[in-house]
Amino acid sequence: MAESTYLAEQAHKIRNLVLDMIFEAKSSHLGCALSIVDILTALYFGDVLRVDSQNPDNENRDIFILSKGHACVALYATLALKGYFPIEKLKEYGTDGTKIGDHNTLGALPGIETTNGSLGHGLPLGIGMALAAKRAGRQSRVFVLVGDGELQEGSNWEALMFAGHHRLDNLILIVDNNNLETMGSTDGILSLSDLNIKFDAFGWDNRNIYGHSFLEIIHQLNTPRDKPFALVCQTTKGMGVPFMHGDHIWHGKCPTKEEYERAKRELNRGEQ
Amino acid sequence: MRFEVVKTIYKAALSDPKIIFLTGDLGHAHADDFKKNLPGQYYNVGIAEQNMIGIAAGLALSGHRVFAYSIAPFATLRCLEQIKVDICYQNVGVVVIGVAAGYAYSTCGCTHHAIEDIAAMKALPNMQIYSPSNPLEARLITEYLLSTSSPAYLRIGKGGEPDTKTEYALEIGKGLIVKPGNEITIFATGTIVNEGIAAANILESKGISTEVINLHTIKPLDVELIESRAQTRNAIFVLEEHNIIGGLGESIARIICECAGSKKPLFRCFGVPDKYNDRTGSHKYMLSCYGLNGESIAQKVSSLITKA
Repeated sequence: MAESTYLAEQAHKIRNLVLDMIFEAKSSHLGCALSIVDILTALYFGDVLRVDSQNPDNENRDIFILSKGHACVALYATLALKGYFPIEKLKEYGTDGTKIGDHNTLGALPGIETTNGSLGHGLPLGIGMALAAKRAGRQSRVFVLVGDGELQEGSNWEALMFAGHHRLDNLILIVDNNNLETMGSTDGILSLSDLNIKFDAFGWDNRNIYGHSFLEIIHQLNTPRDKPFALVCQTTKGMGVPFMHGDHIWHGKCPTKEEYERAKRELNRGEQ
Repeated sequence: MRFEVVKTIYKAALSDPKIIFLTGDLGHAHADDFKKNLPGQYYNVGIAEQNMIGIAAGLALSGHRVFAYSIAPFATLRCLEQIKVDICYQNVGVVVIGVAAGYAYSTCGCTHHAIEDIAAMKALPNMQIYSPSNPLEARLITEYLLSTSSPAYLRIGKGGEPDTKTEYALEIGKGLIVKPGNEITIFATGTIVNEGIAAANILESKGISTEVINLHTIKPLDVELIESRAQTRNAIFVLEEHNIIGGLGESIARIICECAGSKKPLFRCFGVPDKYNDRTGSHKYMLSCYGLNGESIAQKVSSLITKA
């Protein structure tokens, strides 16, 4: 329980940073970033990822790839809180000339492993890195976080086939399954149907959980597997700010001052 | 050429575990040794080029030198965005090998022809482009690529190209004068260099001293050499098995136009016009559709010079 409280505090800080950064920069993808905060919290603060923020290039580290790069503000905030760089660095976001843009870019900040933005790239990259770890005899695991809408990109299914065929048991796919994409519901636009059945068919171990439960996420991600593992996290877009919950408009909309202030009030009252 | 390329990579891989060869389900015979003797460094990723390029970049990010192999249009255009983002933007050590440049898979039709690949690869920052004209050059360029870690596109023939009788060296990034001459210059790249030499020999017999320069390195281009010819030649021609839009010719034209002291020579690019050809036939036939053989080129050059 104490751990859960600690994790909730971290997630709360990340959400506040995300709101502030996106409002200050007048950028977007707020709902997408809030959707993955609890997953990132579990990964970075829940003893899942074996990483060292003071030695980010340690070759035995676990790798995290944010394939849905448009949610990168949540990753920036998480990495800052984890100590990869000072929190003040986040103020660069949205300013002219910064490398900290609206999609994660290799080399922009310590702790960012890959460049993403165009969807459907993270899983193939992750396979390459998982293969390299195996070849080198390293214990590194590779975690790839994708959005559910992103799974409409065909490259993912080429990659799912490959990883299943080669039983890459050091590869973990996390699906932020909030059932919303830019223009509406994923089910309504191009349904993924039952993802778990699909992952089964592609030779992946898989589970389907509530994606805002730290302990469940941690438990599932730390359970050893003998083949690649996909964790479908049922999430809520805009999580933490009730008036944004489940509304696809917060994929691309920047909050007005009034909306920002209301979001801060709701977030800090703990209304979830 | 593909035998030379794969054999060269294989030999290096025997003593360097960092070298990985990926194939999109191609390589009967010429990749058999790789598959048999180095299974941990050889992956047939299946017919899935986007995934192949992503995997290649992931391996390269982890310190490997990776060669990703498929038929030229599939290796470049099917996965163009993966090449852009995963390889070039991240600037990682992957060599994309495109087999059957131009019309080499002549009877297979447009799906298997590669007349747009140079244009696509040329526009990608960080990407180098190599286009050998024979198996020896394919080997020498591959040896160079094994010693570096830059992204690169290696555009090779299908196989059966005549090799040279004697060994020679080439300098990466520098044009190779394969036939000397001092009145006009023909720049060419890839296997069609041989047609350029045939044309030059015909022109020579008509008293036109014709130089042929093999540009095996398309990017970075040998700007210095091209500028020197812009300043000294009355006519410059480019010969390539590619769409004239976006190919080598356009790059050379820009250098000539921007060159200080250029004589503004007569300039023509002999390549594929901007349209698809729904006919199929032998490689020779496909080239003849556009007059891309020694005799036709000599005729056109001769006529242009006479008019000028």
